[in-house]
Amino acid sequence: MTSLLEIHNLHASIAGKEILKGIDLTIHAGEVHAIMGPNGAGKSTLSAVLTGNEQYEVTDGTVMLNGKDLLAMPAEQRAREGVFLSFQYPVEIPGVSMVNFMRTAVNEKRKYEGKEPLSSTEFLKMMREKRKMLNMADKLNNRSVNEGFSGGEKKKNEILQMAMLQPCLSILDETDSGLDIDALRIVAEGVNRLKTPQNASIVITHYQRLLDYIVPDFVHVLADGRIVKTGDKNLALELEKNGYAEFE
Amino acid sequence: MDTLSLNRGEVRNLVFVDEPDLDLHCMQEEDSVLRLFVFDFHSADNILHIDHKAPGCVTEIYHLAFLHGEDRVNLHTRMHHEIGEGISRQTVKFVLDDKSKGEFLGELVIKPDAQHVDAQQTNRNLILSKTATMRTRPQLEIYADDVKASHGATTGQLDDSALFYMQQRCIAPEQARKMLLRAFMEDVIAQLPDEQQREQLMVTIDRIIEQGQ
Repeated sequence: MTSLLEIHNLHASIAGKEILKGIDLTIHAGEVHAIMGPNGAGKSTLSAVLTGNEQYEVTDGTVMLNGKDLLAMPAEQRAREGVFLSFQYPVEIPGVSMVNFMRTAVNEKRKYEGKEPLSSTEFLKMMREKRKMLNMADKLNNRSVNEGFSGGEKKKNEILQMAMLQPCLSILDETDSGLDIDALRIVAEGVNRLKTPQNASIVITHYQRLLDYIVPDFVHVLADGRIVKTGDKNLALELEKNGYAEFE
Repeated sequence: MDTLSLNRGEVRNLVFVDEPDLDLHCMQEEDSVLRLFVFDFHSADNILHIDHKAPGCVTEIYHLAFLHGEDRVNLHTRMHHEIGEGISRQTVKFVLDDKSKGEFLGELVIKPDAQHVDAQQTNRNLILSKTATMRTRPQLEIYADDVKASHGATTGQLDDSALFYMQQRCIAPEQARKMLLRAFMEDVIAQLPDEQQREQLMVTIDRIIEQGQ
């Protein structure tokens, strides 16, 4: 089985401080990987580095996505290749409507894939269908991106964008933070509904709670910039019980 | 200087596009409404002086300057509440590229007898190059004690976190930048009541974003 994502000996730093100290991780299509760990372990740095955030400097290692050198690509190209990040803190973009934003995003991806752009009607139809699939109301369509959205609305909106862009690799960065249990359930059901044998997810979380809803095939513990332990979903339950003390 | 009087209850919209030296003095009588729109894409020196002479007046000022090269725009607003029960709103935006310069002097005076005035002044500026400069001087003189008066001024660059967010959604930085700029300015243009004028101005803005001046 060929791998979807292959991370080898990844080192990264910010402002000269090394955060990732040699990450190795292989992900195959159809898999869900949870990455857990104490605060400051490098969880969010990993998602930032994979998506091409230029604040971080990769100092060593390789990352291959479907056999292509991911680290050589600018952020927008990684996204067009199918890497999607559900942001821990989705950014507000005043004055840019959700419809305009998403239509631009979807059509940029289609252009990259050599497909014709969607017309306005086709696009709105797609958005309606995805919203229906995810049980999300369309009242937010004409509002500015994330502006004035509640915490729950922002996270649901990330999952809607994921549905629209149909990524091969989704990274959910602390998607559960700031969510009440109802919003958490809607978000998790959305993620599960979008799962196919062709795509994969990385679920970054501090708590086990989200993994009750999105069941991982693998759980990795990230501590001090390295993956120090890998197990199945039971590892998450152990961590919930014993905390991260043994890894700090 | 052009002087203008608004009669009791009169409603007036005035739109100025690329008027190089606007010097307007406007006196408002009871319950009159003035909406003033000023758009500058080239150098200009503008003075807008508004007096509320009677109660119940409403003034809205919208100003947008989008400048390139060595263009320079000075905007001096003098919003004088001579008498109470009036409302004023000032929205002033500058977008400065290359070596352009912007200067905003926002004078807001609420006279001792002008109780229950509700006055707001907002100034937001985007600096697109290292060599462009903006100078903002809000000048509030408030002599009445039972009023609402607020002002806020921010000057900054395009939001890096918004640019990255858009890149993560497949949009190249150059296009993301254009979308953010457009949105920043559209917000002012959207206040124009006339649809045709709104469309024309957006065409102008899109052309300048694409080609520079």
